[in-house]
Amino acid sequence: MKYILRGALLAFIGYVAGIWLTVAIRGGSPTDEVAVVFGFILALLGWIAGIGGIEAFGRQWMGKKPVVSTDKGWRRYFEFSIDHKVIGIQYGVTLLAVLLIGGLSAMLMRIELASAGQGILDLDDFNKVVSMHGILMVAVAVAGVLGAFGNYVIPIQVGAADMAFPRLNALAFWLIPPVAVGLLGAPFLGAFNAGWTAYAPLSVTNDSGQILFNLAIIAFGLSSILGGINIIVTVITMRAPGMTWGRLPIFTWAGFSASLLSFCVTQFFAGALVLVTMDRVAGTAFFSPEVGTGLLYEHIFWFYSHPAVYIMVLPGFGVILELVPTFARKPLFAYKAAVVSMLSIVGLSVVVWAHHMFTSGMADFLHGPFMILTEAISIPTGIIFLAMIGTLWQGRLWFRTPLLLAFGWLFNFLIGGITGIFLADVATDIHLHDTYYVVAHFHYTIVGGAIFALLAAMFYWFPKITGRMYNERAGQIFAVWVTVFFNLTFIPLFWVGINGMNRRIGDYPEAFEGPNRFASIMALILGASFLLFVGNLVYSAIRGPKVGPNPWNARTIEWQVSSPPPQHNFTSQPRVVGHPYDYGVEGSVHVVFDGDSPGGLDEHTEEVRV
Amino acid sequence: MKKSWIPVFLIWLLFTVLGLALVMNTSVMPAQYSEEAHHIDEAYELLEVLAVPVMALVLAVMLWGAIGWRSRGADREDGPPQRGGKVLIGLWLVVTVSLAIGILINPGFVGLAAVRGEPVSDYVIELEGSQFFWEVTYPNGGVALDELVVPLEKRVRYDVHSTDVLHSFWVPAFRTKIDAVPGLTTQVYITATRTGGMDDDINLRIQCAELCGAGHAQMMMPVRVVEEAEWLEYIDELGAGG
Repeated sequence: MKYILRGALLAFIGYVAGIWLTVAIRGGSPTDEVAVVFGFILALLGWIAGIGGIEAFGRQWMGKKPVVSTDKGWRRYFEFSIDHKVIGIQYGVTLLAVLLIGGLSAMLMRIELASAGQGILDLDDFNKVVSMHGILMVAVAVAGVLGAFGNYVIPIQVGAADMAFPRLNALAFWLIPPVAVGLLGAPFLGAFNAGWTAYAPLSVTNDSGQILFNLAIIAFGLSSILGGINIIVTVITMRAPGMTWGRLPIFTWAGFSASLLSFCVTQFFAGALVLVTMDRVAGTAFFSPEVGTGLLYEHIFWFYSHPAVYIMVLPGFGVILELVPTFARKPLFAYKAAVVSMLSIVGLSVVVWAHHMFTSGMADFLHGPFMILTEAISIPTGIIFLAMIGTLWQGRLWFRTPLLLAFGWLFNFLIGGITGIFLADVATDIHLHDTYYVVAHFHYTIVGGAIFALLAAMFYWFPKITGRMYNERAGQIFAVWVTVFFNLTFIPLFWVGINGMNRRIGDYPEAFEGPNRFASIMALILGASFLLFVGNLVYSAIRGPKVGPNPWNARTIEWQVSSPPPQHNFTSQPRVVGHPYDYGVEGSVHVVFDGDSPGGLDEHTEEVRV
Repeated sequence: MKKSWIPVFLIWLLFTVLGLALVMNTSVMPAQYSEEAHHIDEAYELLEVLAVPVMALVLAVMLWGAIGWRSRGADREDGPPQRGGKVLIGLWLVVTVSLAIGILINPGFVGLAAVRGEPVSDYVIELEGSQFFWEVTYPNGGVALDELVVPLEKRVRYDVHSTDVLHSFWVPAFRTKIDAVPGLTTQVYITATRTGGMDDDINLRIQCAELCGAGHAQMMMPVRVVEEAEWLEYIDELGAGG
């Protein structure tokens, strides 16, 4: 804890120093946006130095050996630990907290929308809550699976002792708290009401909270880029002997694909926000209504933010394709085709951005090409569906919580994918764009595709990470509850969208009250399901029955070491000798360990029953 | 267990028939007040029909999986090691690629061409969005801030711009939408096909459809479709008054 306090202190000193320096040099008020910019930058540096940057990086610059936290107990979760397993848990817990805050903001919105007219929120406050909800949930979806499970699982799955750049990994995580503080602190400067998309010129002229949004998201982008390069290099260079590309577990492939994207495109969002920030504080006029370029922001923004959808969803594909073979007891169907599909999604996702702009007034000849490219993505996505249903086909389906959530995922993502076609088609999109139809669609793809996968991953790897089993009954009830009420919440929103209700509005014509009220009630019940979820995981992490290394009888490497794995993952070198998903193949082996006992594994797998 | 494709096929057939019966006999779209609405609804309905068998396939596998492939009791044996042959994957690709190409042609390009139509118009109306109201300028120079009045069966070109931030000109009953962008003039052609006003149908309104600030939700304006003669009279009065 002392490092967190030191970081907070240095951040505070940095913030005050940045503001003081700015005011001393140029005059003006300490709440001027330019002062906030320098305050935030110095606060960020102070925080990183204080949390452990001095020891991990600073000492090296002075010619000394770097020092990192070697604590063993719970303290290490509050320190600059370089253990990828600690960092994975840090990501998981932090983003779960952000998910719950974002969820509460959704409850607030649904309460306001339960009736026409203005209730608990006025129109502008509603826009601010929408914007906050949007950006918090986007952050969870971008970094949830990749940050938590990418960090925890990928190094073990490829047979490495840690990530390629452990200190960089810690740095990527510790950039997240200032992002959260920046976003959640924005209401003190008037909050931001331009949506998570922050379209200019509105984001140039609104309240000063926008500046904190810009700075926080640029810092978040840095974290994504650093996390991305780390996973890319780890997968390329740290694979155990025998772990050929053709034997790479599908979750690792998915994390690798998503990391390629986050490494290559995140800077475009940051770039767009730098331009907005310059317009606000430095007197530039990139987006001014008089001389600026009206569509520039949208193009740069979507050049990141459409691929971002796949940064969210590809790890989701990975989680579901990883656990379906285990619970269907069958090899992953069409493994190679699934890998090729994920890589083609990486390629295609950077050339479809303008399908968000069919009504933006961009040149008419662009509509056709972007419609073709967008609908082309349905082909690799179709292969992912083939891999899933092919794996389920005639399997021995073992309906534990992760598989139930995978079924929920499949149903939701099916609806998300099908409704996506209606939005990829220019004619129908002209009507549906910016309506509640879009809101429902992207909740089906992002909650359905990324958050459901995050939930499934939490149950699937819970015994590995904690060494204890969650409560199966409570898990199954949660899986059904969350799937049913998610659908009851969002299905009516398709209807109100088609029938003329646009998005991001705190008030609507009375004609739409019925379905909105229904959706609001269902949303509150949906929100309540998370009490069961968090309660189950927290209670089970402390009091759950202990499990052996491999309660699911799975084949990938992380299940062959103890639960939780030993400090450097393995006590002896793993060697990969076969495919990871050869369930039902007589005598097949995925991995062997040099010497007798693989990574602290005790021979008897303890059976846990519901 | 061997013949899983029979129950899956039957469930698929059932879902497809039920789904098609549902989407072909119901319409989720609101009332049409323009020619463009007609084309857009046609595209929507075609996509619905094409979506049904695809959805039915995945749902059939899921449903039969939950019933027929459930592992009972403590039985933890492995399933058959099917990995997917080239023929099946190839066949799947052929079907999905043909579907994608089909959708691109119709409703894709056919629908796009129909909605856009020829770039000719009988009248031009200018629309200017500002936080948080619309200003309508008719061909004779008459200006209105309270409602948009549109001549029936006449093709009107709307020249849309914005004075401050992004807005979007959307009339749900017409289905058309185009952003108002500062520094640009964007255009959309609409032919109204049915008379009425916002009192008849809530969707006869301009609704700003691009988040534009505090008053975004209430940035709306009633739309009224009238016979051409009545419309000419209306704008004459406006022009004289202004």
